[in-house]
Amino acid sequence: MRILCVLLPHFQISCEKLKHPDLAARPVIITAAVGSQKVVTDYSPELKGLQREMPLQQALSLHSEAELIHADIHYYWLVFNEILDALDKRSPLVEGTDLGEVYIGLDGLQLLYENDDILVDAVRAAVPTVFNARLGIGENKFMAYLAASHSAPGSYKKLAGDTASFLKDLNCDLLPVSLKSKEKLHNFGLHQLGQVAALTPGPLQAQFGPEGIRIWELANGRDDTPLYPRLIEETIEETTTLPSVTALLEVMMVAIEGMLSHAFTRFEPKGMGIRSINLWTRSWMGEYWEKTVQFKEPAMHAKTALSRIKLIMENSPQLGPVEQMGMKITGLGRPNGRQKSLFTNIRAKEHLLDDVKQLEFRLGGPQLYRIKEVEPWSRIPERRYTLIPLSQ
Amino acid sequence: MVADTGKTLHSDTTKPVNLPEPLSVEENSAGLPTAVRLKRRQAIIAIEDCWRIDDEWWRSEPVSRLYYAVILASGQRMVLSKNLIDKCWYRQSY
Repeated sequence: MRILCVLLPHFQISCEKLKHPDLAARPVIITAAVGSQKVVTDYSPELKGLQREMPLQQALSLHSEAELIHADIHYYWLVFNEILDALDKRSPLVEGTDLGEVYIGLDGLQLLYENDDILVDAVRAAVPTVFNARLGIGENKFMAYLAASHSAPGSYKKLAGDTASFLKDLNCDLLPVSLKSKEKLHNFGLHQLGQVAALTPGPLQAQFGPEGIRIWELANGRDDTPLYPRLIEETIEETTTLPSVTALLEVMMVAIEGMLSHAFTRFEPKGMGIRSINLWTRSWMGEYWEKTVQFKEPAMHAKTALSRIKLIMENSPQLGPVEQMGMKITGLGRPNGRQKSLFTNIRAKEHLLDDVKQLEFRLGGPQLYRIKEVEPWSRIPERRYTLIPLSQ
Repeated sequence: MVADTGKTLHSDTTKPVNLPEPLSVEENSAGLPTAVRLKRRQAIIAIEDCWRIDDEWWRSEPVSRLYYAVILASGQRMVLSKNLIDKCWYRQSY
């Protein structure tokens, strides 16, 4: 299968420059917390010697002058998804593997685009020029990636046929494997792909486990990773900014309840529930926390979803006091068949809520509120309780 | 894929309860409240209790208040607070 790789080098840095144009002249390192450790997720191109996933301390020892920014993963994915949406109009087989790395299946596109030049121009036109897209065509994902990473700006590279001579002098750092494995390869004195390809797979497998055989195959230009085109599914996003920075779970749960109730109003009338929620928070220091909550059966009401979310939140502590929260509902599903209740008075509350919603619609805003305990122990009286619209 | 609607659930859809209400208060040279102006001026005949709270000092708008539980001439009990940041008086049940 022929694959076109679109690489957007230093994608996160480009996104930050879009947000803050004044960053263009300053060296920047973008960091994110992985467990208890902070790692580099991207860096300005002029900072030599850095790699993604590198511990922040190591990066700072090389470039102490660099400015640090916390990764805004939610924003990067919003931008990246817009690019993927634009590319979807060029080919139905578009996979966004990682931020700034896109693979497009080319099989069958010759009916739409006469030759590769026309196709590449069409793809390039879909990506904003600020991202300096590099394009490459190969027989598999890895070869397409290498072709793209070695293409000249404004052009593209095509790799086909015997590629051994091209691969042999390339650095092992280009392999799509963990940073630890790359370091281990260098420790063994294996710096070029040609050196790895010259070995038999056995020793590599013995040293690296299952990843060893993959390293050997990649070094020989073989990559059987299939293309996973994006699934077209309905996505609902909600975000909220907390009235004040907080580390209290109760306050966060109130915000989550508000967002969930708001989201439910959009699909509940269709008789649909939630199968999967991607929750994220941003601390006042800009640290990003993310967790996916799956439901075995679609959660048909906000309350059903809340109990499970609370459990997950309790077990996954936040990185710091939270300022902003959001959720992405990616899996909408219908419930399993259930017999309706004969006792309609059970639905009295639902009818009341319908009337409340109608009242809000007519008068243009929430009219009825309920009191919710937020921080009953607070020394500041107005922090103890809050009023939430009854319809939420 | 449906694009982000961009809709945000604003924090202003929720309302805090028991916010401090601005109040006109006369104070003596020691800074203690002597009278309040509700519909008419009422003298304070006793200060039952006084306490101070300092909180959220790490935020741009820290909380620093001096609370007084007072008895008015009419016999009504009231909790007053002086915001030590803007020096204004407020009424707030505690």
